[in-house]
Amino acid sequence: MTKLAQWLWGLALLGCTWAALATGALGLELPPSCREVLWPLPAYLLVAAGCYALGTVGYRVDTFHDCEDAARELQSQIREARADLARRGLRF
Amino acid sequence: MATGTDQVVGLSLVAVSLIIFTYYTVWVILLPFIDSQHVIHKYFLPRAYAVAIPLAAGLLLLLFVGLFITCVMLKNQKATKKAQ
Repeated sequence: MTKLAQWLWGLALLGCTWAALATGALGLELPPSCREVLWPLPAYLLVAAGCYALGTVGYRVDTFHDCEDAARELQSQIREARADLARRGLRF
Repeated sequence: MATGTDQVVGLSLVAVSLIIFTYYTVWVILLPFIDSQHVIHKYFLPRAYAVAIPLAAGLLLLLFVGLFITCVMLKNQKATKKAQ
């Protein structure tokens, strides 16, 4: 089974469980506070996943390892190469 | 370690995501279990907005993505028409 099929299968299963519990089709008598938590659960999971994604991106941007010396060296090498090529007649 | 604006942007993204997550978690998961006379309910909108606001935001996001794709495709078409 492909990954997409697995994901869709899992989502379908969770969705059916949620729908069954939320509409009371199983005949369970959940306390009202539990039902109040159950109703927005798909939206909550989506928002939580979005927040996790955003937070991870932010954290990785924050802790990215810059190599300042290597960057400077690379820039000077680029300038050298451009000058050399311009001298040999290549127009940019 | 990243420097300058990278750090600022990264930390602000982390902070924003944490704020949204905690507010939304308290709103959706914790409030139903808190006595309705408690003062904390004053800081939260009616529960219907807990689904309506993310839904509206999601639809807006889809709209912007669609518009962006349309603009890019139109620009590409114009470029190829000029080249012909």
